[in-house]
Amino acid sequence: MSASILAQTLASGILIGLIYALVAIGLTMIFGVMDIVNFAHGEFLMLGMYSAFWLFTLYALDPIVTLPLTILMLFAFGVILYKLVISRIANASMLSQIFTTFGIMYLLRGVAQFLWKPDYRTIENSSVSGTVHFLGLQVGEPQVVAGVGAVLVTAAIWWFLNHTRLGAALEATASDKEAARLMGIDSHRMFALAWGIGAACAGAAGGLLATFFPIFPDVGSTFILLAFVVVNLGGFGSVTGAFIAGILVGVIEVMGGLLIGPQYKMAIVLMLFLGVLMFRPQGLMGKA
Amino acid sequence: MKQWIFPAAFLAVALALPMFADASRLNLAILVLMAAQLGVSWNIVGGYAGQVSLGHAAFFGLGAYTSTLLLVKFGVNPWFGILAGGAVAVALSLAFGWSCFRLKGHYFAMATIAVAELVQIFFTEWDYGGAAVGLSVPMHKTGWAWMNFASKLPYYWLALALLVITLAVNLWIERSWLGYYFRAIKDEPDAARSIGVNIARYKQVALSISAFFTALGGSLYAQKELFIDPGSVLATGLSIKMALVSILGGVGTLFGPLVGSVVLTSIEEFTRSMFGGTGRGTDIIIYAALIIFIAVFYPTGLVGWWRSLRWPRLRSAARKGERKGLGELA
Amino acid sequence: MKWTIGARAAALACGLALAATAHAQQEVKIGVIYPLTGSSASVGGELRSALELAADIINNGAPGMPDLPFSHGKGLPNLKGAKIKLVFADHQASPQVGATEAERLITQEHVVAIVGAYNSAVTATASQVAERAGIPFLNPESSSATLTQRGFKWFFRTTPHDDLFVHNAFEFLAELEKKKGIKVGTIATLNENGLWGVETGKLQARLAPDFKYTIVKQISYPSKSTQLTSEVQSLKAANPNVVMQSSYTPDAILSMKTYKELGFSPDMILANDAGFADTEFIKTLGKDADYIISREAWALDLAKSKPLIKQVDDLFRSRYKIDFTGNSARTFTGLMVLADAINRAGSTEPEAIRKALVATNIPSSQLIMPWDGVKFDAQGQNTLGRGILVQIVGGQYHTVWPFNLATRDVTWPMPKWDQRK
Repeated sequence: MSASILAQTLASGILIGLIYALVAIGLTMIFGVMDIVNFAHGEFLMLGMYSAFWLFTLYALDPIVTLPLTILMLFAFGVILYKLVISRIANASMLSQIFTTFGIMYLLRGVAQFLWKPDYRTIENSSVSGTVHFLGLQVGEPQVVAGVGAVLVTAAIWWFLNHTRLGAALEATASDKEAARLMGIDSHRMFALAWGIGAACAGAAGGLLATFFPIFPDVGSTFILLAFVVVNLGGFGSVTGAFIAGILVGVIEVMGGLLIGPQYKMAIVLMLFLGVLMFRPQGLMGKA
Repeated sequence: MKQWIFPAAFLAVALALPMFADASRLNLAILVLMAAQLGVSWNIVGGYAGQVSLGHAAFFGLGAYTSTLLLVKFGVNPWFGILAGGAVAVALSLAFGWSCFRLKGHYFAMATIAVAELVQIFFTEWDYGGAAVGLSVPMHKTGWAWMNFASKLPYYWLALALLVITLAVNLWIERSWLGYYFRAIKDEPDAARSIGVNIARYKQVALSISAFFTALGGSLYAQKELFIDPGSVLATGLSIKMALVSILGGVGTLFGPLVGSVVLTSIEEFTRSMFGGTGRGTDIIIYAALIIFIAVFYPTGLVGWWRSLRWPRLRSAARKGERKGLGELA
Repeated sequence: MKWTIGARAAALACGLALAATAHAQQEVKIGVIYPLTGSSASVGGELRSALELAADIINNGAPGMPDLPFSHGKGLPNLKGAKIKLVFADHQASPQVGATEAERLITQEHVVAIVGAYNSAVTATASQVAERAGIPFLNPESSSATLTQRGFKWFFRTTPHDDLFVHNAFEFLAELEKKKGIKVGTIATLNENGLWGVETGKLQARLAPDFKYTIVKQISYPSKSTQLTSEVQSLKAANPNVVMQSSYTPDAILSMKTYKELGFSPDMILANDAGFADTEFIKTLGKDADYIISREAWALDLAKSKPLIKQVDDLFRSRYKIDFTGNSARTFTGLMVLADAINRAGSTEPEAIRKALVATNIPSSQLIMPWDGVKFDAQGQNTLGRGILVQIVGGQYHTVWPFNLATRDVTWPMPKWDQRK
């Protein structure tokens, strides 16, 4: 196993990890603010992918160009979903919440299959195809762009949460809903905002993934377990945590697959996950 | 006394059904009974003790694989194999409980998913256990001695018997001191701890009993379908279904899972035969819409809804399904 | 309430079925179980189209194809012109659902036979139900060798299975070496870790030494992966000349993209049908799919030696806008074989159909497959089937083996990524 193959694999791991991070950030925000685990999160990813695909196929618009549009559409979708369904279970038991989001997961998959058939679609020859060479490494251009995109969106989220009033309000609701309400912050709006941003993040990840990954109605299921692991590892509710954990999981998955065997990639990630849960359940950066 | 009308009616129908049902209908009834039994098993730890497990497929699969491996590799009779499967599941539940019961709420649920996925990966890669190719139960040893029948009817009786036994165990728990501790763990863990209840121990008891009966269901599945592979007995989707059946019917109620199973299985089968042939996924959409509807509007399940009809002051609590309120309706 | 609706619908269905059977020979119901939703749904859709075409040809005819059985379109002659009626069921790639649907088709829809199910695991359980019920089960596409090793009486499979296909691959390599005077070198296998990939991997390990080939690495990977970097890097590290690969559609596409991304280009990629034969594969990868060699069950250019193939494909294309693939061609053939048997049986009695299936002997000229015919052995396996190998060039599949059926010479080695236009 030469050094160059190891270095190459590390680079690939970081890049895919950035995608995991972006998906997980959306998930962790929803949990941080509302205490709800969104099992339908993978479907936001799927919708983002289809959004990029249809805009490309029907209107010949490049996925990178349409990315902001995809993000906006998914944001709106997240807010609408909150208003129609989630708001009704905001105070329900954990079990109800889990199963509502499960239902949404199946529903979105079923609707996607109904509308767009189960065939596999891809975006070919977008503005980001080809390979990039640097430092003796060779990586796909779509992957690099996706990675950069993920970093940018994460940075934007981080800036929003820490340097804007609205972001501060969101954080306040996340740490103490009642206190925030007493300060005049409307939790309803904050919840809707959280869902919108959460969906938008996953949608962004989807839009970026669509440049190199096959698109099909059930694609969310491929990413969701990894997203949960990342969120747990990073600490429920922590954006920075999700970012770091995402990269970590990406690297471990790919390196583990290379060194131990690809059929065990997930097993390695899961064992790491359980290990962290046992010794540091709040994750790397979560509140204890 | 009135509360026994439903179960008595159910038993009467269940006993009479074979006289009226053709093989396909009987098969459907068996699916209902098996799903109900799994729901009741899950309910012991998920509904009564309030520990939401989303990884119960691990126990189901362990039961199926243990009894099948013992049969196929060592010729062990499934009647013993089924108990061995239960024992293995209990062993896993012990390992699991010891490491994970400190986890709360979502973390615990996530951990259960992770464990079940790991078990699935293990069986997918384990050559001796058939790996991805799966295992087939031989068809030549038939009869009651080997729990292998050409007709559906004996499976029906077996499934019914297993359900009744599991329900009986659940009933005994509900009425006993064990049930009292479970409810305490679920509703007021801090208060329980303060009066000296060993929370971890009783969580473990709940999980182990639940695991045992889930595994029995797994072995029965293997003997009925005669083929198991990781995808059919260890998938996370199965875990969801087991919990769903209870939620639909009413967590923490004795007959909730049974009601949930009848409704869920009927809807599944009905929508699939009506719409499945078109391949548009309409049946999935209907199934999903139902899940959302129940989870949002009737979180205490159909049994909770029924009770709210009979005792109106519970209706608003049933609709809101507030966290604490659930305990009172159990 | 739900049971009542179900009961009423069932009663109506039974009534109709009874009415139908009263006009005894007018309609022959055949159950078809395929993945119409779920993970294999995209293939399932194509198979459904193939079945509908076959049924339509039998019932309504196909002009200008005298070699094709039933092309006169007057139904089944020996059953007074009875028409075929297909009853579709979706198994959602789940063995238990497949068994349940088989049960339903047999006892409620009263089908005389079942065709299915593509996924080997589902075929296993669904055919078990049929075996117990004494209903013929015809399997046109599942490749797991174990299906015809169960000692079943009612199970018949028209397609060759994995054992033969892996043999084909090695035979091809051996013959290629002789023909071109080269040595193919070392082999690595990359197989998905489901039932199909695992069985194939085992067969490859077993047969390679018989043909004097060395397998330097066997990689097993989860088909449902977010990335295949580890897999491709492992291949690069093993540095084989030939990669034998078994992948489904999304991972076939993903792996090819990863090969390009990481600059991995062996002398030959010898794929095992499935994802590589999916219409989406070439559509997605365009030029990047060129020079892949895949085992296939069928190819359009075989029409050169058998014009019937093009005629039927034209008909298929005119209705469904796509060509046949090896999968859909086999499914089409499966229904035709079953119809032939039911016709020879002259009855819808299961035992009569079974006997007719056992006696099946269809000549190659009546098939759209590159087979020597259809004849079942004692295990229910068609012994006259064969696989072919195709190479993708210029976005088309070209038959390259067996050499006597080839329309193009093999391009060896595969040009490196940077050497392609």
